[in-house]
Formats: sequence, structure tokens, C-alpha cells
Amino acid sequence: MTVTAAGVVRITAERKERASLALRLVRSEIFAAIASPVLILATWELLVGVGLLDSRFFPAPSSVVIALFDLIQSGQLFVDIGWTVLRVVIGTLLGAIPGLVFGVLLGLSQIARAFVLPAINALYPIPKIAMFPLVMMIFGIGETSKWIIVAIAVFFQMFFSTLAGVVNIEKIYLDVASNFKASRWQTYRTIAVPGALPFIFTGLQLGLGMALIVVIIAENFGTQVGIGYLIWRSWQVFEVRDMYVGLVVVAALGYGFQLLLQQVQRRIIPWKAQGGT
Amino acid sequence: MQGSATTDPAGDRGVKIRISNLGKVFSLGDSTVDAITDVNLEVRTGEFICIVGPSGCGKTTLLRILAELEVPSRGEVVIARADPAAPLTSMIFQETSIFPWMTVRDNVAYGLRLRHVADDQVARTVDHFIRLAGLERFADAYPHQLSGGMKQRTSVARAFSNDPEILLMDEPFAALDEQNKALLQEELLRIWSETRKTVVFITHSIDEALVLGDRIVVMSRRPGTLKAEFKVEFPRPRRVYDLKADPAFGQLSRKIWTLLREEVVP
Repeated sequence: MTVTAAGVVRITAERKERASLALRLVRSEIFAAIASPVLILATWELLVGVGLLDSRFFPAPSSVVIALFDLIQSGQLFVDIGWTVLRVVIGTLLGAIPGLVFGVLLGLSQIARAFVLPAINALYPIPKIAMFPLVMMIFGIGETSKWIIVAIAVFFQMFFSTLAGVVNIEKIYLDVASNFKASRWQTYRTIAVPGALPFIFTGLQLGLGMALIVVIIAENFGTQVGIGYLIWRSWQVFEVRDMYVGLVVVAALGYGFQLLLQQVQRRIIPWKAQGGT
Repeated sequence: MQGSATTDPAGDRGVKIRISNLGKVFSLGDSTVDAITDVNLEVRTGEFICIVGPSGCGKTTLLRILAELEVPSRGEVVIARADPAAPLTSMIFQETSIFPWMTVRDNVAYGLRLRHVADDQVARTVDHFIRLAGLERFADAYPHQLSGGMKQRTSVARAFSNDPEILLMDEPFAALDEQNKALLQEELLRIWSETRKTVVFITHSIDEALVLGDRIVVMSRRPGTLKAEFKVEFPRPRRVYDLKADPAFGQLSRKIWTLLREEVVP
């Protein structure tokens, strides 16, 4: 912008100088996002190297990477991952489907809500893992009890999210369905479920987070495989580097689940893709 | 509400809807509010009737009773039903009522799909009304990608494609800007002239009622009841701005306003 002598203001296009490639890289957000963990890991490595950090509890990142490669090479890591993922998937299906069904049914019926909700509200505050001993008494210490405890954890998240989603559907959509003489089943299918889908996905997201927590603890009991088992066994034999491998893998699993869900969500809820209602 | 299935001896100009002594009371906690009281009205088959009234006069309640979304407290509505198997009413709402999770095409197909109409017939009907409503380019769009005018066009197309005997419209264009309103009014008239369905149209705009209706019924303030009625005899097809330039339009508009004014002034 230049002001000429006569007092005229001229607004012209800005001429941007292109910075050098290196400079733009350093300034980019991606670089900043990568730089911080790299910096932390490097500092950690250094502090262990000079003996300021106790490697019995905080082994050098490089030694954890070596432990990771050992576990990959032996094939054991993939077996553990496979079992944990399987338990999470089966348990999630067992919990999410009833959670969805109950959420939709209760969402559209005030009387059913009044009847069932007190019981569910009474159970909800119990930390789900506290029910695990009872679940093991009933279903034994094998796979079934792990599926069930994951299912219980997922059920509550899914149920409450779906319920909230259905209750929050704008009344006018139900009026339209009623004016078009939609049957009860058609109302569930065309209004309640699609209208609540954004909430249902939130429920699934929270549920998978809970599932991972629960499965890791449950894998301390009655099994010789799974990432949880890897972590617990490392604690018993004081193999701290394997324990770190377990932690890294759990983090990656959790992240992977969320990424996968986001992809599915983008497919299934296209009307949400560009913002909007 | 019971639709009596008598066929109409008077042909297509017989009475389609007979409303007698209709009243609706809402209870709010301990107190009750009379929304409408003693409404008596006959609507003829194929007639486009406009109900004008001040806001809060209960005109939406009247329409919701006709749509079977509310149950009357007093009186009755008798509707002459031509085909008991076909849908009786479709309502077009004031606010956005098209489903955000369906494309324009699926929204327009909604009523037909609920009735399990064969796929090829659904496609034909939906294409027809999408074209009539000027929505071809947006057929596969989702509502969040549409302007307000396009959303209401979809709503109109959804109601017409369901092929009901009666269309109920609750200020469908109230939220639109002047230009879009005029455009949609003309398009509504064009679509309506193809089908000549019985229409009950509610509005607070006298001009809109004059542009669209064969007859205008003026409602009093709450508890709403019918106060007067006017025949609107402008020839069809009507064009909104040609009509507004007609001196007779202005005179009739003033006459109705004089009457309505008493109801609006507190």
C-alpha cells in the first residue's frame, strides 16, 4: 500500500518473495511437529548415556528399538498383536451392537427410558475392570471372559452415545416421518440411526479407547499371549525394554484404531464431511 | 381425525375437507392455552386455499391437526378420501425439514420408498419432480451443500412426489429472501397447475396469499378462529410481479390488511 502525494491510497497486490526450500521446510508445521519428539528422544538418549537417567527404569530409546527388532524377528510380537486385536474386535462387536440397539430403542421411547435407565445408570459408575473377577468366575479365565469384559466396557460408551444422539435428533425430522406414515421400524432405520450416526461414531471411538485399557489389564490373567501379557510379563521378569516395546505398540494400536475409524466415518457420514449439520 | 371414505358425487369440485367446530387446547403445567377455537371451514377438491393470520394465532396448530400430527380437543375434521391406499396429506414445513443424511434424490424419494413403490417407478417420479423443481444439478448433493431456496425446493419436491391428495404448507418460503420467494412461489404454482391438488397454505403474508390462493381465509389472534374470507379471482397462470402491478391486487391487499390490523395491534 502506498500513499501518493495527492493523498490517494493505492492498494496493490503483495509481491511475496519465495523463501528458499530449506527455510520453508524449517518453518513448516510438519517440521515443527516432528522436531519435538525427536528432540525429546535425543535428550533422553543423551541423559541415559551420561548416567543422569536411570536406565533400569528409563532405558535408552536406542535399546528399546533393538528390543523391538528382536521381538519382530522372533515373530512373537505379531502373535501378541494379533491376539490383542482379536480380543478387542470380538469384544467390541459383542458390546457395540447391543449398545446401539438399546440406545436407539430407548432414544425413541420415553417409557422404555424411564423403565431401563435407572438400572443402567446404577451400573455405569462401576469401573468396568472391577467387574472382571466376577466375569472370570462366571465365564472362566479363558478367552470368553476377556471378550465379555471388553464388551461391557464398550456397551456403556456405545449405549450412552447412541441414546444422546437419538434424543438430540431434531423433532421436525420425526414429524416428517410421522406425516409420511413411517412405521416404527422405518423410523428407526431412516431417522433414528442415520440421525444419531455422528454420536454413534463418537461412542465407538470412546468405546475402542476403553476396550484397549480393559484388554491390557485383562491379559494379565489366564493367557500367555497379547500385548498386555507382554507388558505384565516384562514387569515380572524385570525386562524393562520389552515393557517399553509393549507401551509403544499399545500406543500405535490405539492410534491405528482411531485412524481406521476416521476413515470409516468419512465413508459412512458424507453429509458431515465438509462441516455442516 | 377420521377420513371418511365417501366418494365425491359433485366431481372434482366437491368438498374435500370439512372442518367443524374445531378446537385445540394445550396444557402448560397447571394452566391451559386455547390455540384455536371454533374453526369452521370447507375446502373444495383442487382448491388452493390460503390461511392468513398474525403470528401465534394457531394457524400452524390447525395445519398440524390436518397432518395428523396433533389430535383436536374439540370438533372434527372430515376428509373425503379418493383412494384409501394412497397417502392423504404431505406437509411442507417452515423450517428446514429435509434430512441432512440423505441426498436431494433420496429426500425426494422418501415417501415413495416408505410405501415400497417399485424402484423404476420411484426413479421416474423422482426425476420428474427434481426436474420440475429445478434441482437437476443438485440431485446428488447433500442438504448442507444447498442454499435455503434449494432446500425448500427439495422439500416441495418431496411432498409432491409422494402424490398425496392434500398438500399442507406451513409458511414454506418465510425464511427466504424476496427474490427467491417470488421465484419459488411461481415454481410452486407451476408444479401445482400440473397436479391440481388440494392445497392448504398458511402464511402471515397477505401478498403471498393473494399471489397463490383461490381463496383467502383470515384468522383472528389467539385463540384463533376464522374471521373472514375473500375470493381471489386473478386469472392463472399468475406471475408474481405482474400480479403485484395490478391495481386490484393493491386494493384487495389493503382490504385484508385493514381487517388483519385489528388482530395484530395489541
